[in-house]
Amino acid sequence: MQLGADAGSVRRRLIAASCALLGSSAARGEQGSVTDQIGRLIEDWKIQSALAYYREDGRIQAIEPVISAVRDLSDGGKLALNFTFDSLSGSSPNGALPSHTPQTFASPSAKSLAAARHLYTISPGRLPADPNYSDARVAGGVDWTLPLSRLTRLSVGGKFSYEDDFYSATVNAAVERDFNDKNTTVSLSVSSENDFLQPIGGTPTPLSDYTLFEKGGHETKRGQGLLLGLTQVMRRNWLSEVNLSLDRFSGYLNDPYKLVSVIDGAGNPVAYVYENRPDSRTRRSVYLENRVGWTRTSVGLELRYMTDTWGIHSDTAQLRLRWWNAGRDQYFEPSVRWYRQSAADFYRPWIAPTAAQENYLSADSRLAAFHALTYGLKYGIRLSDRLGGFGRQGTEFNVRLEYYQQTIQNSPAAPAALQGLDLYPSLKAVLLQIGFNY
Amino acid sequence: MAGPCEVLLPTTEHNARELGEVAAVEAWRIEKKYSRYRKDSVLAWIHAQRGSTVRLDEETASLIDFAQQCFEISEGLFDITSGILRRAWKFDGSDRVPDAAVVQSLLPLIGFNKLRWRSPFLTIPDGMELDLGGIGKEYAVDRAYDLLMARSPVPFLVNFGGDLRASRPLPHGPWKVGIERPGAAQNAAMMLDLEYGALATSGDSHRFLLKDGVRFGHVLDPRTGWPVPDAPRSVTVAASSCTEAGLLSTLAMLKGAQAQRFLQEQEVRYWLLR
Repeated sequence: MQLGADAGSVRRRLIAASCALLGSSAARGEQGSVTDQIGRLIEDWKIQSALAYYREDGRIQAIEPVISAVRDLSDGGKLALNFTFDSLSGSSPNGALPSHTPQTFASPSAKSLAAARHLYTISPGRLPADPNYSDARVAGGVDWTLPLSRLTRLSVGGKFSYEDDFYSATVNAAVERDFNDKNTTVSLSVSSENDFLQPIGGTPTPLSDYTLFEKGGHETKRGQGLLLGLTQVMRRNWLSEVNLSLDRFSGYLNDPYKLVSVIDGAGNPVAYVYENRPDSRTRRSVYLENRVGWTRTSVGLELRYMTDTWGIHSDTAQLRLRWWNAGRDQYFEPSVRWYRQSAADFYRPWIAPTAAQENYLSADSRLAAFHALTYGLKYGIRLSDRLGGFGRQGTEFNVRLEYYQQTIQNSPAAPAALQGLDLYPSLKAVLLQIGFNY
Repeated sequence: MAGPCEVLLPTTEHNARELGEVAAVEAWRIEKKYSRYRKDSVLAWIHAQRGSTVRLDEETASLIDFAQQCFEISEGLFDITSGILRRAWKFDGSDRVPDAAVVQSLLPLIGFNKLRWRSPFLTIPDGMELDLGGIGKEYAVDRAYDLLMARSPVPFLVNFGGDLRASRPLPHGPWKVGIERPGAAQNAAMMLDLEYGALATSGDSHRFLLKDGVRFGHVLDPRTGWPVPDAPRSVTVAASSCTEAGLLSTLAMLKGAQAQRFLQEQEVRYWLLR
């Protein structure tokens, strides 16, 4: 400790050391007699739960309860579990283009166009969507972090997800090391994903006319991911994080339920073919996050740039502000998120019957060029003070409302006959989430 | 713990008693666990196992981790193994300055780096001793503070013998805190305004030796075994936690003549009395 050599550094290091001491779960152990049986059982678990309701204007709606629990282990490690259940229902766009004439489609489960109960008809001018779409998803994960030394941590984990037509399992491992008095953390993580797809009604042959019902059995998909992260304490109240990630997916990457309209010169849909995407995709992204906090205000700015081998480039910017009240037990958090992406090289909202057979083809609007804005407002209240003996530090109730609007851009000009139709309707959605942390 | 332990709350509700008990139970728990005067303390148990390796509970391990970091940050000035110097030094106002050879003989038994510490396993060599007195009281304030934070609907101040921490201002303004100035008359206590955060004071003017006109203060440098020359009589530091404030005031004392400069460099509010 050379005087004058590094002004203020003793204090900075002491703050870090005392935070480690006072923040450690160790001391939370013996706390007296107020806690009841359940209290003791979950005493060491931090639990976050949320119930989200999502609704797209005229399309899908979803209800999603999420629960996650984190426990600090006695060896300095950490165990995290999470569980999600999704229930989706509503109308799911099938990829075809609106038309001046009614269009009739068969649901994916149909075996032929004869069985009327599997058919649905779309009125002129409406976006074709399967009105009987419903899906349920169950997902869970576990992550175990263990200290290798005072500065190094290893974490290993796994995730699974289960739907009627899709199963996914992922394993991941990460190493994290602190440097520079724990002001700098570097992490490296790898993951491997294996998916199994069994589309309802079978896997359609790519590019085949959908009325032919050329369908096969199950398909698989694999993914590998690599992520390099750097977190830096810039100042006592300023945290900065940079992530570089590389993902590669291979195998069956189509959406087995998406069609592409074949439109003749007069604007009539003459056929629908199944989409065909490349069987590999490599994605690179850079993510930068800065968070600065003052006594009653904090600001977070997140920026992301992503590019992939399908020709999609995307930019994301998100700004979040948080204001606390004078007692610091309630906060408001407005946020705005801007997103823009370019189209995949093989995105075609429709094709002409005379067009040379294209190798790769998709009309999925998620692969189109679009931009989107999300406005959000969150309110949270700490209940520790209000629950008396039942509360504990960190008990919080919060509610979040988000409004999302997506606009398709730069779409190829439609045939003259389709003028006047809203071929690429914008998507509006709301999300309401209620959360309770204990 | 020396000195009164109190929790101040602006309330007429009967839960004040319950909140006070929460803090008191925590203070007693920590004192019982780490007192060097009690035979049933964890500290006594550790000392009884000298020479062999013991596995510490999580809380004790975090305290030893913290002590290790303080030792490293201060380059050996703050050392929980230095309590053994009390065998040579008795600060009773007399002129019994110990023989240099006696002090010298204790030095091999001092030094955190002589312990074998790989959390949670600790081995103390024969003859060495741990003393958590330099951390314990401030730690107890912070612990009690955390417990009350989760329970108290109103602002509060935890005061354990002059080391204290407040949660937020009173409805009508800051807390008024009187800091005793050792050596100065009682009525010369300094009044401070504190909205939130912690204050800790080091120093005790009644503990010294006087020989041949030379005053030997009670702040001992663990590296030499001798009092730090020109140590301030008292140092009070304001910081976000009591643990942090306590360490800064202790380190300032150990800096002797350089105390003021050290505190200025840490950019903290402090009050120093020479």
